[in-house]
Amino acid sequence: MKIDPRTGSNPAVRFEHHPAVRGEIYRLGGKPYRESVIEEVIGRTMSDFAGADPRMLLEETIYQERIRTRKVRAGWITSPYLAQRNHRDRKFLAEVGSRMKSCIGLEDHRALLERVSDHFATEICGNFEPAMYDFAIRMVPWMFSWLLNAASVQRFLPFGMSESLQSRLRVVGEVEHLQKLAKKGTILLVPTHLSNIDSLLVGYSIHLMSLPPFAYGAGLNLFSNPLLSFSMSRLGAYTVDRQKSSSLYKGALKNYSTSILKRGIHSIFFPAGGRVRSGAIESHLKLGLLGTALQAQLERYRENHPNPNLYVVPMVMNYPFVFEAASLIEDYLAASGKHRFTPNDGGEAVPFLNTMKFFWKIFSTRSEMWVRIGKPLDVFGNFVDENGISLGPNDTTIDPRRFFMTKGEIRAVPQRDREYTSMLGQRVSERYHAENVVLSSHLVAYSLFSALRKQYPALDLFRFLTLSRAQRAIPGERFYEEAEACFRMVKAAADQGRLFLSTPLHCGDVKIWVEDGVRQLGLFHDAKVVKIEDGAFSTEDMSLLYYYRNRLTGYGFGCDFAGETDEQGFLV
Amino acid sequence: MSRDFWSDSRVVILGGGSFGTVLANLAAKNCSEVTLQVRAEDQARAMNSTRMNPNYVKDLVLDPKIRAVSSYEKAFEREADLVIFALPSHAAREQAKIVAPFLRGSELVIHATKGLEEHSLKRISQVLAEELPVIRIGAISGPNLAGEIARGEPAATVVASRFDDVLEAGRRIFSTPSFRVYTTHDLIGVEWGGTLKNIFAIASGMLESKGLGWNAKSLLLSRGLAEMVRFGVAMGADPRTFLGLSGMGDLIATCSSSQSRNFRVGYHLAKGETLSDVLSELGQVAEGVRTARIIHEFARSRNVEMPITEVVYRIIDGAWSVDEGLQHLMTRPAVEDEWS
Repeated sequence: MKIDPRTGSNPAVRFEHHPAVRGEIYRLGGKPYRESVIEEVIGRTMSDFAGADPRMLLEETIYQERIRTRKVRAGWITSPYLAQRNHRDRKFLAEVGSRMKSCIGLEDHRALLERVSDHFATEICGNFEPAMYDFAIRMVPWMFSWLLNAASVQRFLPFGMSESLQSRLRVVGEVEHLQKLAKKGTILLVPTHLSNIDSLLVGYSIHLMSLPPFAYGAGLNLFSNPLLSFSMSRLGAYTVDRQKSSSLYKGALKNYSTSILKRGIHSIFFPAGGRVRSGAIESHLKLGLLGTALQAQLERYRENHPNPNLYVVPMVMNYPFVFEAASLIEDYLAASGKHRFTPNDGGEAVPFLNTMKFFWKIFSTRSEMWVRIGKPLDVFGNFVDENGISLGPNDTTIDPRRFFMTKGEIRAVPQRDREYTSMLGQRVSERYHAENVVLSSHLVAYSLFSALRKQYPALDLFRFLTLSRAQRAIPGERFYEEAEACFRMVKAAADQGRLFLSTPLHCGDVKIWVEDGVRQLGLFHDAKVVKIEDGAFSTEDMSLLYYYRNRLTGYGFGCDFAGETDEQGFLV
Repeated sequence: MSRDFWSDSRVVILGGGSFGTVLANLAAKNCSEVTLQVRAEDQARAMNSTRMNPNYVKDLVLDPKIRAVSSYEKAFEREADLVIFALPSHAAREQAKIVAPFLRGSELVIHATKGLEEHSLKRISQVLAEELPVIRIGAISGPNLAGEIARGEPAATVVASRFDDVLEAGRRIFSTPSFRVYTTHDLIGVEWGGTLKNIFAIASGMLESKGLGWNAKSLLLSRGLAEMVRFGVAMGADPRTFLGLSGMGDLIATCSSSQSRNFRVGYHLAKGETLSDVLSELGQVAEGVRTARIIHEFARSRNVEMPITEVVYRIIDGAWSVDEGLQHLMTRPAVEDEWS
């Protein structure tokens, strides 16, 4: 399982293909096993809330659900799948409501609560069908390569020369390390989240790396595509409904994640809880699901599993363009109160055509997608070596069990474990920044934004983003000057190990990488993110420029607006 | 108190200075074994035979449970449950690097250092977290003049950590009928309180030297506290922490005690002596001298208003006399009496 040295640097890392390894997840295909998982989730959820008044909890859940289903009625349904789900939810809600009325005592309420937990657990639980998996891993590459070569025709490749997906999808970083650890313990892969196509690419990268399939928490909007929905629910994906906000549902979701991690099923979740609106590297992670890694690890130690260790592996994905960028940045600006208009889209479905269009653009324009596997961590955020041993500072090795010891024993201490989780969240975000691969397109956007910013230093963000067309132009000479300065900054950061540079940036010739970046940046959008006209650089869409430029915030490079400067917690 | 995990625990204290020795004696009342790590072998031997620390707090009789050692191998011969760093701030990182291989991760660590790592502006708990294979780290800080605690006079302290584990250990190990332990999660506020007060101790010495009265001193303490709060909040601390023992409490003790090194630096500077003369006469480090410069520069770059700190820095720097500094402060534009 080694990387071919000949292709190590260029054009892409290619992996030796191995038959898919059967992982623990295959057991999810068995009904009794799945039922035992659901039972465990119900048991955990009931014991989580053992101290609470079951009646109050039911009332809270019904209340939250009522608000949610009402909202759904008001226009969130964008596909037949969502409609069907909503119908089921409403029926269930009505049933619970009427059973509430006939509850007499504590026991009745508790039984009903168990019924509701069961409903949630069953809804969340994923399935796994090996035949479906085998089909998918044959089908997807075939589709990709068909699309790739069809798209490449546009560029008149010489006869007989075809391209493979791997040359466009660059999976780099600690691949071998991850492959080794997957055999020694349980992997929790935590990717950054820019776009809905992330799920596809993560799944495909896992296959490329010859790793066994992973369980994956998928947002409802991904299920709205009938094809994706059909396959995903059979490939170990479990359902995450972000609109459900009752503590009972959130508890059940966390318990599902804990249960499968504890059973040694490799998992993936996006710790930011959704696509990052601003386009930046995530600096605030949701700790709920991350905490399940800690909990599962504690239990595996306590139960003396033979391969008890859990490894948290950050993964950073970068694309020269993101097809939802316009709606994401709009959301972000509206939410942060810096923009006047309210966006009109909600949890949008994945338009299948958009997905195809994305890949078509990638393939037809020689663009590259970068997936970087970060250095693996233990659940406390320490690096681990190839043998899965945790490394401490000053050449020490650590037995992570020791961090779970309080008063001489391995035990759960909720306050302590919450702090550990928040430290892990901070650490993962720190690693995201360090594993980020800067694309030429990011740097072009950053340079133009920075040059413009220097012309209008006093404007606040909103005023700045509404500069008129004429005000948005920068003479070429001035732009290149800024671009060189930005490059030096990024290069210095790369030399310090604070980020990585993509191949076009290795040469350092400003003309070359600027040309490359301008060509790739935001190709998907109708508006030109960076435009060169009469030698001057300008943008047709300030918000998009802001979005792509944001990928390089959080490094203290300056040119930040108030409130954006402390993302790395320098002050804390 | 009934027997529990901590009554049978082992405590290792690194640093045989006055505060380390006093903490060792407090801990010995509550655990089964205290190992006090000192620098020199003959000091350790003398302590074990005479049951006194020959260099510091000489009137303190060491508890029989205390064993003094001079090597890390001996100090960590058996696994420790709680490790106390009672070392000056400039030694923190270097000592932590040496200690790191002896720790296993289940130990809790509390440091008693009031100061910061200068070049990086890092708090001591941050330095320790970077160097030790330990996560659960805390600090102990407050108006704790070692001599008074040694004599058994009533006193109190604050133990701060993000982890309840550490707070409980601090409470169980250091509480005695004459020593109270308060706890807080605001580690940032407690550490900055202990660091910043040294600047105002220098100012306090200057006022004393000028023969000024209580109005002036109270003015210094109140407005000094306001600067501490402003700076602390900018660093992520909870402003309320500064009203407690580690903020206001420590500020009063340090600014009122003529024994404080920082106070003496201010006192002699105001008499017209040069800084280098004062420091060589003192023969010891006065943390406030360097702290004033670093904090002033950082505060200015971050737009945190700290006029007293600026004046202390300018006087230490030789740019202004004490009278010029006082005049500068008293003629500033009138502002509201608030903290931020």
